[in-house]
Amino acid sequence: MAAEAVGVAVGDLDLGVGIGWRPDIAGFVAGLPGLRFAEVVAESVNAGHPPEGLLALRDRGVTVVPHGVRLSLGGAEPVDPQRVAHLAGCADLLGAPLVSEHVAFVRAGGVEAGHLLPVPRTRAALAALTDNIARTCAELPVPLALEPIAALFDWPDAEYDEADFLTELLERTDAMLLLDVANVYANARNRGEDPLALLDRLPLERIAYVHVAGGAEHEGLYHDTHTDPVPAEVLALVKELYARHRPPGLLLERDGRYPPAGELRDELDALAAASGLPRVT
Amino acid sequence: MTPREDLAAAQAALVAALVAGGPTPAGFDPIRVAAAARALMGKRAGEVARAWPSLAAVHGARWMAVFAEWARDRPARGARLDGWDFARAHRDSLPPAAALELLMWEAAWRQSGDGAPRRRHFSTSTAPGGVLVRMFGRSRLIPLRSRP
Repeated sequence: MAAEAVGVAVGDLDLGVGIGWRPDIAGFVAGLPGLRFAEVVAESVNAGHPPEGLLALRDRGVTVVPHGVRLSLGGAEPVDPQRVAHLAGCADLLGAPLVSEHVAFVRAGGVEAGHLLPVPRTRAALAALTDNIARTCAELPVPLALEPIAALFDWPDAEYDEADFLTELLERTDAMLLLDVANVYANARNRGEDPLALLDRLPLERIAYVHVAGGAEHEGLYHDTHTDPVPAEVLALVKELYARHRPPGLLLERDGRYPPAGELRDELDALAAASGLPRVT
Repeated sequence: MTPREDLAAAQAALVAALVAGGPTPAGFDPIRVAAAARALMGKRAGEVARAWPSLAAVHGARWMAVFAEWARDRPARGARLDGWDFARAHRDSLPPAAALELLMWEAAWRQSGDGAPRRRHFSTSTAPGGVLVRMFGRSRLIPLRSRP
């Protein structure tokens, strides 16, 4: 029953190629003629004074998904109700059909990490995530999609492999999957594993949309920077994914060191080409 | 301890290792955790540079290293406050552009008792070449000419 409900929600989504809306590239995003899908970092939105560019996208029918980054769903402590209320408020403001957050924690012991950190793949972490996601979904007006993150290290003493952990989490929470292909690539490369092996074991039919971002290698490790071009290997993985299953949306995240508009357009066109989705430029 | 309490303690130890100079918790690859800690510090320095461009520009390509050295044992308070703390710690040695950036910030914000910034509605302060006046949410530099 539950899986069926999720299937209906994913099936209802009609997104296409999208891009993360950021104030720095608001003009570029507004000028994309075919755009039907964007995302905004929920914590960057002041609900009392939302950016006009964002409301303009909403008003021209673009689906704008609020993407939370500070909920700390994977933290041992209960999720902060005010942060959940803000995410819910963003969904209402933007008329979004879903919101998204991460399989991660961002603070512990009263200290902010300043970034998304991996959770251990243990029963205890699965229970903490499940509790926090249930608390969150109880307050959200729309479904939640969960994004597995990129990490430079793993926790010791894992009780699940990555695919089993995620599959179990999605089943327990009835959440959709936000699959970041660049994260899959980064983790596999840094672990010396085959990214396709993970793709082939994930419940691809639960994917609401897909993230893609750029990265770079430093000191022998691949960093998912969001400030570098999308590597050819990540585009190849997008192609492999879309050969297996066709998720409704594919979104480029760029968070700094913005290139000239022509380069961003080329990256969006490359996503369209790799996925078979229509161009938006 | 319950499994949830164990998880809380393990997460706190990892965060301490990544952003507060704590030891690498047992079982983690210390090289990988150190690489992640450097990446987090780089992200933090970059965010401060965006919030305080003149302050960061003083140090050019060395900004990351200079900020990292100062911030190593200071937990992050957010880019605007980290930049304010850094600027105040170096107040006496700031070149003009960075000093003006600090002046503009302090015309608009004051430190409250709990350490959080509070917006000022009205303030005046002396600035190089004039007086900085803040009223109705706007700051304006009123030039003062010395009499002949």
